[in-house]
Amino acid sequence: MAVDQQLYVYVLNEEDYPTNAVIVKEGSKGEWMYVILEGKVKVKKNTPKGMVTIGTLNEGDIIGEMALFDAVVADRTRTASAIADGPVKVGVMDTDRLLRDFESISPQLKGLIKTLVNRLRDTTQRAVNLAMG
Amino acid sequence: MNDKAKIPPIVRLKYKKGELIIKQGDYGISIYKIISGKVRIFSESGDREIPLATLGRGEIFGEMTFLNRGAEARAASARAAQDSELEIWHPGRLSTEYAHMPHAIQYIVRQVLERLIRMNKLVAQLTAKKQEDAKKPAKLEEPGASQRRYYRKKMDIECIYRPVGSSPKLALHGKVKDLSMGGLALEVRAKNALNFSHEKGDKFHINMILPNGKKFAVTSKVLSTKTNPTLGTLFMGMEFSDVSEGDGRTLGFFMRA
Repeated sequence: MAVDQQLYVYVLNEEDYPTNAVIVKEGSKGEWMYVILEGKVKVKKNTPKGMVTIGTLNEGDIIGEMALFDAVVADRTRTASAIADGPVKVGVMDTDRLLRDFESISPQLKGLIKTLVNRLRDTTQRAVNLAMG
Repeated sequence: MNDKAKIPPIVRLKYKKGELIIKQGDYGISIYKIISGKVRIFSESGDREIPLATLGRGEIFGEMTFLNRGAEARAASARAAQDSELEIWHPGRLSTEYAHMPHAIQYIVRQVLERLIRMNKLVAQLTAKKQEDAKKPAKLEEPGASQRRYYRKKMDIECIYRPVGSSPKLALHGKVKDLSMGGLALEVRAKNALNFSHEKGDKFHINMILPNGKKFAVTSKVLSTKTNPTLGTLFMGMEFSDVSEGDGRTLGFFMRA
């Protein structure tokens, strides 16, 4: 297994998805975070002109990390869809434990990480707007 | 002697409007927080400045290079857009904290960072392209059409098609809207794209019967896509990537007729 052992200890459960299955749906609520154990996943965003692929994720890559850092649970809306590109096995990560880990770090560092995540969210939206505009 | 001990962890500095705060390509891992004023973040490409963001009070910048452990130079420049006061964090203590952060959080942060670096590059590329396009005089449709290498025939014929690499048993339905010696336009139900990728660069095997009754099969690559949400259709401009000799003759015969 190519997945980092120190990350694998956070995996609660493994799930299998067939080709083209939707793992995470844009706009839905959800706070689970996944790590890809086998296979490839396409990340897509909806635009007025149709779906656009914004990236491909591989083994060891994580899915749903943005929701993890949203302090308000009600705000945890998926910002993109993750779709199996061939058969995929993912590990469902222990979100509670990850949140406890995140809470253990200093407010300053937490602020930096949140800034980074917000920046990724905004930049991705800008890239999509530019590409489709 | 510990050098770190001599550097105050946080200093406040004032910048006049227009002053450069961070220069793209420099090495530095300080983090900046805006106390007052506004700061413009931009990427430099040749002599062009590509605006990335304008930040205001309370916002942080310069965090990417820090989180990247200074492994890469500053990816963008920052300039005071108004007279501004900034808090500059020397990251000595934060670096130690970062190193002691739980491994899984570090793992996630690294991935977010990689994705952000990639997206920033993409935004810079797309913005540069947009600026370039805006400079070009608007092209008229007609001269463009006359420059086309091949004459196009408008049509509306049913075809079956499937992605290259899919099972030969698969048969998706579409309509060929026009045909030339170099390519065709294919209109399909937008829902076809839910199950199979229909994007620029994707290749499809397409089979049809030409209006003259001849069978014609061709492999084509998607050059452009356009969805029509009202009609629920997806329109793809395609270029032939593989035409057999026989099919080439069939097409040539049909196009000349």
